[in-house]
Amino acid sequence: MLFPKRMKYRKAHRGRMKGRATRGNKVSFGEYGLQALEPFWLTSRQIEAARRAVVHFVQRGGKLWIRIFPDKPVTAKAAETRMGGGKGAVSHWVAVVKPGHVLIEIGGVTETAAREALRLAGNKLPIRTQFVSRADFGTGGEGE
Amino acid sequence: MEAINLTAQSRELTGKKVAQLRRQGQVPAILYGHKTQPLSLQIEARALQQVLREAGTNRLITLSVDGVSDPRMVLVRDLQRDTISHALQHVDLYEVIMTERITAEVPIELQGESSLVKRGEALLFQGLDTIEIECLPGDLPPQIDVDLSSLQQIDATILVKDLKAQLSDAVEILTDLDEIVVKLLLPEEEEVEEAAAEAGVPEVEIIGREKKEEEGEAETEKGKADKSK
Repeated sequence: MLFPKRMKYRKAHRGRMKGRATRGNKVSFGEYGLQALEPFWLTSRQIEAARRAVVHFVQRGGKLWIRIFPDKPVTAKAAETRMGGGKGAVSHWVAVVKPGHVLIEIGGVTETAAREALRLAGNKLPIRTQFVSRADFGTGGEGE
Repeated sequence: MEAINLTAQSRELTGKKVAQLRRQGQVPAILYGHKTQPLSLQIEARALQQVLREAGTNRLITLSVDGVSDPRMVLVRDLQRDTISHALQHVDLYEVIMTERITAEVPIELQGESSLVKRGEALLFQGLDTIEIECLPGDLPPQIDVDLSSLQQIDATILVKDLKAQLSDAVEILTDLDEIVVKLLLPEEEEVEEAAAEAGVPEVEIIGREKKEEEGEAETEKGKADKSK
């Protein structure tokens, strides 16, 4: 599972997830990608589940890029604890995802295989996603 | 090569008001160039889409504005799309002077197939989609072909400098000549599933001020404890 090796501060504020992703919103490494359509905190477990779904489907061949990294610590207080006593302990790590962010990219496989692999990966995630290809962002893109 | 024609109307709406145009099926655009006054335009979205597909960013387009008989030779310089719907938002058109050298991005087209990739023994990694070149507008190549059948072993690469031979002397490559265009890689194996799922939250090293503060707090507490004795 993904988590940072070291960090400056143990706990972080929650922050807000306004607007759309302005960075990481294009297919940059592979040929096809899975794009988030909703804002969400994706946990390292969810990212790992999606990664495994793709790797398991593709088997040999193809290259995978995970474009998000869970670098935000989420804290939780222990069960049946009274309020107060400061912020809880770090429970898990999340990646902050805004609509438009390309979560996973894949290359070296046919479009049909990429579609199926990314569909399986999308099913592991608690948000709506869409399949995108590199061409969608260039002059050959279809657009609505 | 066939000429690509595009018709545009001059535009008076600017700023946030251009959203109205997009709702009416028009795409806001701007025309500029070395000796051209910037001109705001609007173009019918469907026609523009077709032209873009055909011309890309490296084929000259004959642009006529408001039906004026004097057409202008332009290149698509920049393209803005909605990140989710991929609908066209705005287009930059660059008016070229046929005697002045320009820079442009030329797409790389992969031709043929490596026998190793065909047998599934290698993975094709494409490092570059386009190459930046400098030349006169009339010398712009429509595409650069890369023959993959010459790649016969793992780690075999085609660099930008290998493509120089198929370009005329009038064309200068601006992309780094040692950059990888395509390379054959060993296919990745599925990672063995970890036997036990990592339980709990792994320890993360804390660096910087917070760590120092913690150390400081620990020392003061120790001091208090000593005093109370």
